Amino acid sequence: MSSSSHRESLFQAWLEEHRGIVVKVTRSFAPAPADAADLQQEMLLQLWNSLTSYAGQAKPSTWIYRVCLNTALTWRRGTTRRERRIEPGADLARLPAGTACPAERAGDAELLDQLYAAIHALPMFDRALMLLALDGLAYREIAEITGLTENHVGVSLTRARQRLGELMKGVTDELE
Amino acid sequence: MNWNKFETLWKRQELPVGANADLVITKQTFEAKSRKLARSLFWRDLREAAAGLIVVGFLIRQGWLMGKAGWPIILSAVLVLGLSVFFVRERIRARRERKGPDAPLLVKLDADISELQRQRRLLQNVGAWYIAPCVLAIVIARANSPAAQSQSPRFVLCYTALVAFICWRVWAMNRRAVRNKINPRIEELEKLRRDLLTSSQA
Repeated sequence: MSSSSHRESLFQAWLEEHRGIVVKVTRSFAPAPADAADLQQEMLLQLWNSLTSYAGQAKPSTWIYRVCLNTALTWRRGTTRRERRIEPGADLARLPAGTACPAERAGDAELLDQLYAAIHALPMFDRALMLLALDGLAYREIAEITGLTENHVGVSLTRARQRLGELMKGVTDELE
Repeated sequence: MNWNKFETLWKRQELPVGANADLVITKQTFEAKSRKLARSLFWRDLREAAAGLIVVGFLIRQGWLMGKAGWPIILSAVLVLGLSVFFVRERIRARRERKGPDAPLLVKLDADISELQRQRRLLQNVGAWYIAPCVLAIVIARANSPAAQSQSPRFVLCYTALVAFICWRVWAMNRRAVRNKINPRIEELEKLRRDLLTSSQA
């Protein structure tokens, strides 16, 4: 298999498996649809471009998180409005059939919107930490992605959770 | 706050699946952008190399024609050549030291900040490493050029004013780039870094 086709198949397989990471990072860092399309395109380009330097030392999901979060953290909204080739609504057409009933899905969607809005209101790094923690990553993995020590991750997460809790006050009652 | 409820809600969210369309779009966009970038880098490097070679070639020829008396002109050619070598070395260094987006966030942030600080130092000191060698090369070449000796004072004045104006423009453009582009970007990245370290030290 040529290196080019290997890269293509790896990209496709990883995107198939970890596409959720791209979507969640996009939604947390760029809530507006126009910005979201822009950021998502940038992240995919960075993933494709960096794939050749993947040395296999990190798990694919850790590596994808690093690329996506680095891109999102340093992404500059509106500086160069790129030609948009990803339709903002394109992802919605490929949503999997959920297991929850429609009413539950609608309720979840509203709560998720509020959760994403609260995450977006956090400082940039807290946003990144929240995404990783909500996805259930261990402190060691978060430390690997952020470059912090595990102790620092623990302290930061405690603060970020408190902030998120304050922002979600009122909404949490609905979750009980 | 009930963290577990947030986690449950988070994990229940429906996410898009499939990747086929993205590969085509990403490849097309990436290739178009890469081609555009490669083209612009090629023309930039060609322009700079051509300008440097023309000036150096002209000075060496002048020095050669003057025989032993032409050494100051050869010296000014060496100054211009040194400047070109410095440019090339800087570009190679920047490319080698650049951290990719797959580096840990803090490492990437530190690398980006120090690269920008280095660029700022270079732009702020453009007078010392760029303008001064160029002016010195011009002064040496003119002081030793027989043609320059016979020029009228009016011509010399205009020529000096033109060189001074170009030097001032180069200096002002670099200062503006520092003020409008590099400083705001450094502040932005340093704020990010402060946020990260503050939240982890509290």
